[in-house]
Amino acid sequence: MNIILIGMNHKTAPLEIRERLYLSCGDDVNHLAEIMNIPEIKEGLYLATCNRVEVLANATDGEGAVARLRDFIFHHGNLSAEEMSKCLYLHHDHEAVRHLFRVAASIDSMVMGEPQILGQIKDAFRTAVEHNATGVILNKILHHSFRVAKRVRSETGIANNAVSVSFAAVELAKKIFGVIEGRNVLLIGAGEMSELAAKHLISRRVGKIFIANRTYARAVKMAEDFHGTAIEFDMLPERLHEVDIVITSTGAPGYVLTPPMIEAAIRRRKNRLLFLIDIAVPRDIDPAVGEIDNVYLYNIDDLQGIVDSNLKSRKKEAEKAETIIDEEVTKYLEWYSALEVVPTIISLREKMEGIIRGEIAKSSAWMENLTEDEKRNIEIMANSIINKVLHDPITGLKEESKDNSALPYIAAIRRLFGLDDK
Amino acid sequence: MDIIFFRVALVVYLLSALGYLGSLYTRRVLVAKVSTWVLFSAFAFHTVFFAMRCIKTGQNPVVSFHEMLSFFAWAMAGIYLAFQLKTKTRVLGAFVSPVSFLLMIAASKDMAGYVSIPAALQSNLVAIHVILAVTGEALFALATCAGAMYLIQEGLLKNKKVSSFSKVLPSLTDLDRINHICLMLGFSLLTLGILVGSIWARSVWGSLWQWDPKQTWTLAAWFAYAVLLHQRLAMGWKGHKAALFTLLAFAALLISLVLTSLLFVTAHRFI
Repeated sequence: MNIILIGMNHKTAPLEIRERLYLSCGDDVNHLAEIMNIPEIKEGLYLATCNRVEVLANATDGEGAVARLRDFIFHHGNLSAEEMSKCLYLHHDHEAVRHLFRVAASIDSMVMGEPQILGQIKDAFRTAVEHNATGVILNKILHHSFRVAKRVRSETGIANNAVSVSFAAVELAKKIFGVIEGRNVLLIGAGEMSELAAKHLISRRVGKIFIANRTYARAVKMAEDFHGTAIEFDMLPERLHEVDIVITSTGAPGYVLTPPMIEAAIRRRKNRLLFLIDIAVPRDIDPAVGEIDNVYLYNIDDLQGIVDSNLKSRKKEAEKAETIIDEEVTKYLEWYSALEVVPTIISLREKMEGIIRGEIAKSSAWMENLTEDEKRNIEIMANSIINKVLHDPITGLKEESKDNSALPYIAAIRRLFGLDDK
Repeated sequence: MDIIFFRVALVVYLLSALGYLGSLYTRRVLVAKVSTWVLFSAFAFHTVFFAMRCIKTGQNPVVSFHEMLSFFAWAMAGIYLAFQLKTKTRVLGAFVSPVSFLLMIAASKDMAGYVSIPAALQSNLVAIHVILAVTGEALFALATCAGAMYLIQEGLLKNKKVSSFSKVLPSLTDLDRINHICLMLGFSLLTLGILVGSIWARSVWGSLWQWDPKQTWTLAAWFAYAVLLHQRLAMGWKGHKAALFTLLAFAALLISLVLTSLLFVTAHRFI
């Protein structure tokens, strides 16, 4: 077993480093190609979200692959070796599987239980499949992780009380404005996260809701959903003074809101307080904006700190989820260890012998008239038919197993003959 | 007899101050709620004390410097309690009640005896002048408490240190609003107080204004507040700048209130 997972997330790497890595990783496909060019890697998956950058790989030579993957991240993040050793984590085999399961189940998310990550993993997987980067092992792990996510979602309360970024944002807004009722909200950029935040705020009866998006049609669509007003992206500076709370989550590479824009808005607002929430990576709002009087700027890492203090109540649910994940990792390992030639041949034979016994039992009514010899002959014939049928597949498997490439065949046989469903 | 109510009020102010500080320490709202009621009873005892003094002596109860301090404590507590009815700012009590208590301690040094008022000061105008001015100053003290709390809460929010401590503090908007209301009311009352005082001065000393050190400092503080109010109303100052300036203006007022009485020879001296 040579499964490797290497990467960094919001817990291990500060926003600046994640940003650098994310910026250079605009195009997932090229990165996947680059990863697949590493000769030690047989299967690969590249996952980049605003909170994490991870590579999952099935390699022939663990150490060689890890060294090259480190080089890959080193090169793209423009990181020093010292920075990198602090930020990167590396998991092997069952720990790698467990990590992926935890990520998919949204336990490792900045906002535990947020629903976005599963979709992002599915997208990454689709990209990998389209480029033939996955095989038996990764396909199985990924499909299994989707199942784990579903189980955790339905069996624990993690998703329900997703004490989300939006919740933290609402708490902060209360500290600033006292009451949120009647405050105007502006959403810049679409995305599940900002939509989640919007839903959270609307449930608090905010005032007007404005929505801006680079694609105006998208803004109009969202505005319909939220009973808000769509704003042309270019008109943003003109409308900023009308709002009290701004949530940004665009995919723009540069800053969408700059200090001069905010200063102008604050002047037009007659210094009324302004609360800015930047949940985009790379950041949408110039950090210098936070220095302006009466402006409160929180980015995704700042919100983390507040989310942490709400964590305790959800620890119990998280423990339940961890138990589920432990079970599922064990199941996966069982499946994996069955991917050997000998156990597969044995279970194949057992399955066939079971079929013969079953059929003979069913035919016992008319076979009563036969003599013992005749009955034995029928059994011998049935067995030899099975042996003849199985002879070629078994010989083939044994031959393939000599140079370690039997895995796909084993997986196919187990799947086609239904050896894993008991 | 009336002095007993003063002493009871003093002790109850201490209890409420301890309660409020305890609520800050334990971060429990219930403790602050109880403390509010304790403060209210201190205020009630204190009111009874003033009423009894008035009836007994049949004159203005705020004549001496120490009586002024006690009246200051009473006004601050009363105004805070009135705000408490309208806004959820219990924690402000943690600033107000200790100040009231300390003022009471200072006042208690010389409270037992009665002060007989010299003939020159036996005028309704003097009573009105003192009550208006001191109430205005108490409002400024409250504005300063709100301003100080604003700066603390703002510092916590700006530095992303949102802890359970920032949770017990009132919201920025509420604090700014209290600061604003206290400034407006306080400025009106102080202005009226100064006007009444100078009308009385003319009748006694023959001129409206004497450029006595106390008057000069009060005028300086009055100007500081005038500037602040102008900036707030005309220039739209809010939040940080307004809170900071409130603290500076109050420093000037403190000099006029306390230091001039102690350091300078002033015609504007209480007995």
